[in-house]
Amino acid sequence: MFFFFVRRLLAAVPTLLAVLTLVFVIVRIVPGDPALVILGDQATPEAAAALRQRLGLDRPLWEQYVSFIGNALTGDFGTSLVTGRPVLDEVAAVLPHTIDLTVASMIFGVATGVPLGIWAALHRNRAVDVAARILSLFGLSFPVFVSGIFALLLFSLHWRLFPVIGSANLDDLPDRLHKLVLPTVTLGLIMAAYITRVTRSAMLASLSEDYIRTARAKGVPWRRVVWVHGLRNASLPIVTVVGLYVGILLGNSVLTEIVFNRPGLGKIIVGALNQRDYTMLQGLMVIYCFLIVVVNAVTDLLYGVLDPRVQAA
Amino acid sequence: MIKTLRAALLGTALALAGTATAAAQTAPTLRVGMAAQDVGRLDPHFAVSTIDRVVVAWMFNGLVRFKPGSIDPAQIEPDLAERWESSPDGRTWTFHLRRGVQFHGGFGELTADDVVFSLRKAGTAATSAFSADFRAFEAVEAVDPYTVRIRLRENVPSLLGIVTNYSGGYIVSRRAVEQRGADFVRSPIGTGPFALERVTPNQSAELTAHAQYFRGAPQIGRISYRFIPSDASRDLAYQNRELDVNYGRADQTWINRTRQVPNTTVDVFEPGELAVLHLNTTTPPFNDIRVRQALAHAVNRAELVRYRGQDVAREAQSVVPRGYLGFTADVPLLQPDAARTRQLLAEAGHPNGITIRVIHTQLPEMLNMMQVVQQQLRRAGITLDLQVVEHATFHQQIRQDLSPLVYYSAARFPVADIYLTQFFHGRSIVGTPTAVTNFSHCNQADRQIDAARVSTDINEQRRLWAEAQKILVQNVCGVPLIETLLVFARRNNVDYGYELNGSMSLGPLITEQSRLR
Repeated sequence: MFFFFVRRLLAAVPTLLAVLTLVFVIVRIVPGDPALVILGDQATPEAAAALRQRLGLDRPLWEQYVSFIGNALTGDFGTSLVTGRPVLDEVAAVLPHTIDLTVASMIFGVATGVPLGIWAALHRNRAVDVAARILSLFGLSFPVFVSGIFALLLFSLHWRLFPVIGSANLDDLPDRLHKLVLPTVTLGLIMAAYITRVTRSAMLASLSEDYIRTARAKGVPWRRVVWVHGLRNASLPIVTVVGLYVGILLGNSVLTEIVFNRPGLGKIIVGALNQRDYTMLQGLMVIYCFLIVVVNAVTDLLYGVLDPRVQAA
Repeated sequence: MIKTLRAALLGTALALAGTATAAAQTAPTLRVGMAAQDVGRLDPHFAVSTIDRVVVAWMFNGLVRFKPGSIDPAQIEPDLAERWESSPDGRTWTFHLRRGVQFHGGFGELTADDVVFSLRKAGTAATSAFSADFRAFEAVEAVDPYTVRIRLRENVPSLLGIVTNYSGGYIVSRRAVEQRGADFVRSPIGTGPFALERVTPNQSAELTAHAQYFRGAPQIGRISYRFIPSDASRDLAYQNRELDVNYGRADQTWINRTRQVPNTTVDVFEPGELAVLHLNTTTPPFNDIRVRQALAHAVNRAELVRYRGQDVAREAQSVVPRGYLGFTADVPLLQPDAARTRQLLAEAGHPNGITIRVIHTQLPEMLNMMQVVQQQLRRAGITLDLQVVEHATFHQQIRQDLSPLVYYSAARFPVADIYLTQFFHGRSIVGTPTAVTNFSHCNQADRQIDAARVSTDINEQRRLWAEAQKILVQNVCGVPLIETLLVFARRNNVDYGYELNGSMSLGPLITEQSRLR
């Protein structure tokens, strides 16, 4: 299994290189001059040219590319063009917050969505099922900037249970967990809604299979039929969705981060794009891609665990 | 004996510093919420955005400073220099420094060497965003450890304005810059009342009181400068008492709503950002003055003020913001007259009106205002085809002369010369090697602007600046719209220690006298 994991990571190297190249090219094609962002609107062309030279942006593109790839291979992603801080330091400062939110939202989404989906499947077309479907529709329909603000109004302003500013001290675990609750619920609800729907349909398909009928005929308790025979066979699409969603959460939780004032990868990516911070964007993309590769590899491993036929293949 | 005395003095100094540090730790923390994602470069000579300007003003001093709460150049007062004098021709200035001014972090006493280094750094394009302000500097030299002399190639409208606590005028520690190199942008060392402790990316900058501040130890122990880009979340945090000071929106609804929050004062202060429609006078359709006049007649400033809010906006009266040294309201601004607009358009060969493709930013405050202007112009037969682009793209494309009409809103150092030079002098025309922000390509007032800059007679300067403004308005190089003031909210227990009527750092100055009651 270990070698399988390493093999998957090695296979990702060409993907990472391709992404690096794409990002390198795209950020330079997009109009907007980092020198103007740094120097402000009173900058003269002379000052902008001096800055471009100092930042190495006046060098031929191929030269910039070679030096970028060379540095990236040694783990050096340079310093942010805008803040002057090392890219890796910036990422390291926010990554724990992103991982906290992603993992917590995933756990919340799975813990809520899977039982709800099963419950809905077991009560197909009855009131429970309809309620679950409507609830999941609400979950999918409410954007974070609406549900998040509502959550803040209720739980922070009205009941004063949670702070509005959600950036936590990483060394203080209770503070970290406390400030994680509202963003987790807000972001996790969307995931829960999605998982509820997928689980429901996967369970419906699974429960209509012959082996379920056989198990019931053999006298296997219904609870065991559902949780072991039914869920295990329905779990592949659920794992697929969770894997995909974790990838999305890693980079797309930007709205949650903004509404709850949390630092995170998504927020940095948007900021770097707005400010044409080439080095920061490049570094972030490499790290983001690496995380996605790891998540995908873990998902594949889980496939093997859940369905031995996958491992055999 | 001397050794004993030294040891005693050192011991006393350390004890005092220790007491002061302990006091700073127990003194209250001021929590300031700012509409930004992160700070940029905290080297003051690169602090160009509002978020950076606000915080560097707490950490650095200039040779002179604006009186706290004011942006009146006539009220500039001593800061690191306790006095100064200039030669009769105004080209040689001598500044006498205060003694015993200490830099943050044990970087020692400020001397003339630091001042010379700072001003040379600020005047060099590679190490400063404000190098253009120092163009007239011939030499900066240390006469002795506490005296600095500045020699100018030519007269400038306000030398004190260049060395004040604003933009390139901030004084840095030479030793810190040389020792920290590239790291100085994130660990700057100044002499101000607060020192940077740390920046947590995307979260906050934490500052501590500079116990050895030369005006006395600050009464506020710490400042937590929070980066909160979402207006809604920042307002909620303020209402939830997680912030003491909140960056406000220049919007009447916001002001009215925030005034309802208990124990809150909303400060509206200078400088006003002047919004102007700059018309490219060299290309169709605006190379015909009748079209420019038609557009000017179609704009209704009073409506724009009503839209933005009476408390926060006021009608522009010239192509220079009011209150700036050299401003005049005695200019022939064209008044709203839709019939006249149609008549002028017909005379210019556009009886059915015209359509103009305009590049504009997606920044909400600028976009909303432009949409109101768009409606006003449409009523008079001028259609603006807005090409909305992302903000960095907007700045690049308008400098490439891709938009015949540019909506631009800006505040500058409050002397007419700066605004006139950057926006309406031939040397600043976009696309040229010396370009700044002259989008209209107007150069009709160059003679007056240049003559005023080098004049030593203030009355003559005022006359020339007034003449320049008249020429520019007559030629409809730009159509002034409104001036928008700055807005911050604070809890009533926050006492800045002065009345906040203006701030060149674009945010409240936190001084040694600021306190939390």
